[in-house]
Amino acid sequence: MQESGYFDKYSPIDGVWDEMYGKNARIRDHYRKVIDYVSGESVDDLNKKEELAKRLFMTQGITFTVYNSGEGIEKIFPFDIIPRIITGEEWAFVEKGIKQRLTALNLFIKDVYNNQFIIKDGIVPIDIIYSCPHFLREMYELKVPHDIYVHISGIDLIRDYDGTFYVLEDNLRTPSGVSYMLENREITKRLFPDLLPQCGVRGVTEYPSILYKNLLALSPRQIHNPTIVLLTPGIYNSAYFEHSTLARLMGVELVEGRDLVVNNHKVYMKTTTGLEQVDVIYRRVDDEFLDPLVFNPTSMLGVAGIMGAYRKGNVAIVNAVGTGVADDKAVYVYVPEMIKYYLNEEPILKNVPTHQLGFADAREHVFKNINNMVIKKTNGSGGYGMLMGHAATEQEIDDYKKEVMKDPRNFIAQPTISLSAAPCYMQGELKPRRVDLRPYALFGPDGIEIVPGGLTRVALKEGSLVVNSSQGGGSKDTWVLA
Amino acid sequence: MLSRVAASFYWLSRYIERSDGMLRMLKINYNSSQDTVQEFTWEPVVRIFAGEDEEEATKLENDSRAVLNYMVFGKSNQNSILNIITLARENARSVQEHIPKDLWQCLNEYYHAVKEPRLERSMRKDDPITILDILIKQVMLYYGTVEITMERGEGRSFMNLGKYLERAIQSVDILDTKFGSANENPDLLTDTSYWKHLLLSIGGYELYLKTYREGFESSNVLEQVLLNNDFPRSVIYSVNHIQRYFERLKNDSNLEDYRELSFRIGRLESRIKYSSVKSVEKEGLHKFLMQIRSELYGIGNALNEHYFANS
Repeated sequence: MQESGYFDKYSPIDGVWDEMYGKNARIRDHYRKVIDYVSGESVDDLNKKEELAKRLFMTQGITFTVYNSGEGIEKIFPFDIIPRIITGEEWAFVEKGIKQRLTALNLFIKDVYNNQFIIKDGIVPIDIIYSCPHFLREMYELKVPHDIYVHISGIDLIRDYDGTFYVLEDNLRTPSGVSYMLENREITKRLFPDLLPQCGVRGVTEYPSILYKNLLALSPRQIHNPTIVLLTPGIYNSAYFEHSTLARLMGVELVEGRDLVVNNHKVYMKTTTGLEQVDVIYRRVDDEFLDPLVFNPTSMLGVAGIMGAYRKGNVAIVNAVGTGVADDKAVYVYVPEMIKYYLNEEPILKNVPTHQLGFADAREHVFKNINNMVIKKTNGSGGYGMLMGHAATEQEIDDYKKEVMKDPRNFIAQPTISLSAAPCYMQGELKPRRVDLRPYALFGPDGIEIVPGGLTRVALKEGSLVVNSSQGGGSKDTWVLA
Repeated sequence: MLSRVAASFYWLSRYIERSDGMLRMLKINYNSSQDTVQEFTWEPVVRIFAGEDEEEATKLENDSRAVLNYMVFGKSNQNSILNIITLARENARSVQEHIPKDLWQCLNEYYHAVKEPRLERSMRKDDPITILDILIKQVMLYYGTVEITMERGEGRSFMNLGKYLERAIQSVDILDTKFGSANENPDLLTDTSYWKHLLLSIGGYELYLKTYREGFESSNVLEQVLLNNDFPRSVIYSVNHIQRYFERLKNDSNLEDYRELSFRIGRLESRIKYSSVKSVEKEGLHKFLMQIRSELYGIGNALNEHYFANS
């Protein structure tokens, strides 16, 4: 078979797991069909596909707005046309691992807001929990339906040089990006006609109906058609597209804080025919802004009195309030212990070795080896406020150290994990770029379900290890093979 | 339906209708600016359509290119096509899951068309009519898409309420401005090209020719724009449609809210229906128009209070 130039020139990065190439530059079997297909296309054809993808994102308004000098500029989230492929075997492992981890994390949240056995048994230190900004006393002994707190999670996975999966972080609050999982697939269908069925790629379109089924089951009122709403911060939120897509796909009302009102511990929405009671709220508003009477009093995004209605059990909130206590990076360290403690099982997915800078000896070790470390804030996200030891200047390191010393509890350090690489199409050539994987797990009364796929984020800049969209990252369609 | 969603439908539609009226007005005025020997004045157009910043607007008065740029692409002009289409799109965005995908894409394209830097450049040097036609076509595409894809329900009724309310207000404003200028300058009363342009700018020229054989008479123009039921831009036609689409909301309404609005709309409709050119001229055109205008605004405010939960 004739291999076109794309693959001759492709050179995997040394010491990095390549999703496409195995040992001795042998192409892994599961990439074979895609490579054959791509090889049969000219640079022109591939450029056209790239153009088509951009146009589809733009005309469908799958954009986010960047505000610059008072003027909104529409941008699309960069998309790489070459799919990232995961074998059925790898997936089965990941799926099992996430289910185990999520079960334990959910038990942990229930525990810290109720009996606190895990603290009393000395597994997790009490100050780690109480110093966590997302630990909310307002949740103490608040009963949630079916004891489920984390209905939706997006656990980030990465692969080290030998292909081992590691959990980078547990996103248990309001993980975003699932609309890109769905839209990337729709676009790939247009870019590579017939290729998906030929490769035996499993579908992801079930996601909205599974989520809807779970939301329906949470209704406090036992009625035929409870009112389910998706609460968005509004059109200026960078994930607004996702909110409206999910609302449309599930056929639920998309509301803003100002559409809701609480009366007598019940939540209502204002409609043209008067007030209508709301049963389930899938909120994409952070805890802090949810109820100005309880949390941030200046919040315009939330609903006054909603926590009262929640406490009374008159409305279900998804994800539950206060789940952030379990995805705090200082708590992350203890997740393997939690799995053993609650489930009496060995963790399937590994944690990245993590040093809590609150401890003096750990801090000393980290500062000594700072060139091989990544330091992060325990409650940060979006790739902000991170120090990448291998790429930072002396000055940056010194400044960061000072920052750490102000409040060491708020920082953790991890050895630089190399992140696996996958081929990306860039100006007529294929080049390896680093990727991660975020599968979306849905936890309902029937158990945990994960649609086969997820969001693959990719660091498009050469040599970069940061995949966040705010730092020049893009995404790829993620194929899980049957 | 959520009150906010209803309000977004209503405003989305008002903005689009406004952009349609403006674009057509600009096109005809530019055209006639090429016909006139003396200096052409944009003052009436600017007065009808520019936002609140009248001072800046009047400065440009006689410079066609400057006026066109200000009215279409002006960032500082609240009512420029650019700004109102941005608002229309934002309203559409906040009800995206309630409108057909085709309709959203159509609005999105309209927005991207106005934002296109090439368009602004060529408005400065090339033929403005080509540019205005491109945008007018976007509006027509929008109306066609609404007609074909929009579900016949509450949402569409609120859209039509916005559309016809906006149209009625526009027609009243145009009449008031044009007849006001004619009162100050009686020569205009007999100036056929003055009335011809008025009709052309609101698309009523051909109908006028078919209806009136005796040439351009200001009272005939008034009759057509105010009282002709077959003229889609007339005040009475718009008010009839406000009534028609409001009645469709009856089953989805609170009885009290419905009665309040229904009363106001009915009163306005009768006021116009039982007027004639003679009776209007007798009581004073300006006074009559101002009264109609305040009734129209009253309906808008009542909708806001009773249906959009913004009391």
